[in-house]
Amino acid sequence: MTSIPTALLQSIADLLARVPVDPADLPANVAQLSAQLDGLARLDDLDLLNVEPATVVLPPTEVPHVR
Amino acid sequence: MSGNELTRLSIAEAGERIRRRALSPVELTRAYLDQIQARNADGRYYLTVLHDAALAAARTAEQEIGSGKYRGPLHGIPVALKDLVMTRGVRTTCGSRILKDWVPETDATVAARLAAAGAVLLGKLNMHEFAYGPTGVNPHYGTPSNPWGADRMPGGSSSGSGAAVAAGLCAGALGTDTGGSIRIPASLCGIVGLKPTYGRVSRAGVVPLAWSLDHIGPMTRTVTDAALLLQALAGHDPADPSTAAVPVPDYRRGLDDDPRTLRVGLVRELFFERLDPEVRAAVEAAARALAGLGVQVEEVRLPRIHHAGPATFAIITAESMAYHEPYLKTRASEYGADVRARLLTGQFVLATQYLKAQRARLVLRAEVDTVLARVDALLLPTTPIPAPRLEAREVAVDGVTDDVRGWLTRCTRPINLTGHPALSVPCGLTTGGLPIGLQLVGRQFDEATVLRLGHAYEAVSPFRDHRPPQAG
Repeated sequence: MTSIPTALLQSIADLLARVPVDPADLPANVAQLSAQLDGLARLDDLDLLNVEPATVVLPPTEVPHVR
Repeated sequence: MSGNELTRLSIAEAGERIRRRALSPVELTRAYLDQIQARNADGRYYLTVLHDAALAAARTAEQEIGSGKYRGPLHGIPVALKDLVMTRGVRTTCGSRILKDWVPETDATVAARLAAAGAVLLGKLNMHEFAYGPTGVNPHYGTPSNPWGADRMPGGSSSGSGAAVAAGLCAGALGTDTGGSIRIPASLCGIVGLKPTYGRVSRAGVVPLAWSLDHIGPMTRTVTDAALLLQALAGHDPADPSTAAVPVPDYRRGLDDDPRTLRVGLVRELFFERLDPEVRAAVEAAARALAGLGVQVEEVRLPRIHHAGPATFAIITAESMAYHEPYLKTRASEYGADVRARLLTGQFVLATQYLKAQRARLVLRAEVDTVLARVDALLLPTTPIPAPRLEAREVAVDGVTDDVRGWLTRCTRPINLTGHPALSVPCGLTTGGLPIGLQLVGRQFDEATVLRLGHAYEAVSPFRDHRPPQAG
């Protein structure tokens, strides 16, 4: 299973996504991502370039956020 | 009949009595409200109980029926909604602290359709926060009690729906299902749950978890009741562009058709690879029972279905993060710890991984379609394990220890990815007295066949005479 440094995720959250992250949450993020990365890489086994790109189905009108 | 006896009637039974004017919708609604009054504080099933509004709706139904304006089999039937279905003037919390005081100004399409069918809304049901979890454990409102064991998870995310239907606190309920959230609580609470085909039921006015995986469907005590609720819900809705303009059949009419013309495929890959031994025995016994009814049961192959897990992970995390990002930037501390962590994981999924997952969806859907060209339905377990203990974080199955959430969604999430209709029907009890669910998966927009198979199986299921110890 791939291991991801928490510092990398902290940087992505701060610099790219710009979503504040409590460092205490990062180990859970690492565990969830690490468990899936190998499987995500193996999606290439499906020869996806021969698949018509999926049209992302439009959602119904988004429910307004409550502030 | 006593109040307890009334709340044990199926929708079909109660509806027939109401039609014949042998049962008053007001009497039936009062019976449910009395049960809720007596048991909701301990059981945490409902987040909002609409006592007065329900009685008023029941009186209206009674007057309409009395004056010859009978609307159909849901007229005067008390039902409840998962609390992410928008209801005009009634708070809709999504099981969250963030939306604890939100009162929508409109009804979701499904709420409006149930009301148009004459159903009586008893209230809004507890759930996993923002529908993001299969355990049903809720840190804000408490966890609904599984009627088969108060120390057991009810399953989620439609936890209140599953537990309330099983406990006899509503005749039927709506749930939503993004990775199994109708079928998992149906399996763990010993009821029937139907995830219809993607595009069969409108999501307009239902707070999303992941748009391209979300489904809405009925949770009931019998397959016939699921058919009756689906009848009211199904059909194109201009407010939800993902709904399909596909004709809606009469779901009840075909239920009793002879199942001997049907073929069912049993899929060993993924779905039978790691199972609790009692679940394996019960599901294989169900396959034999169907064969005993004359259904042709054969083994079929889905060799690439293992890819469904990572693909659904990429889609659900990315889409849910996209929806919740505004809240996560400003009110992150108001989420429960488990949901916040899962949501935040979405910001680390690459756009290319998300798009690959959407392409993988097409490959896997085509693979399932190919098999379903040969057989009428697939036969699978709903959950590989019975209801775990409330405090469980990891569970060992066949010597493999994994996160309880991964086990619970293992057999359901692939079908969210492919979009096929899937029905969970109780198929037995463990020696410890916990329900086991059988999952039947049909062709796109062919809910009628899975309902027909489920109905035929229900009549011979070893579960059929069991009721939960904590039912009224």
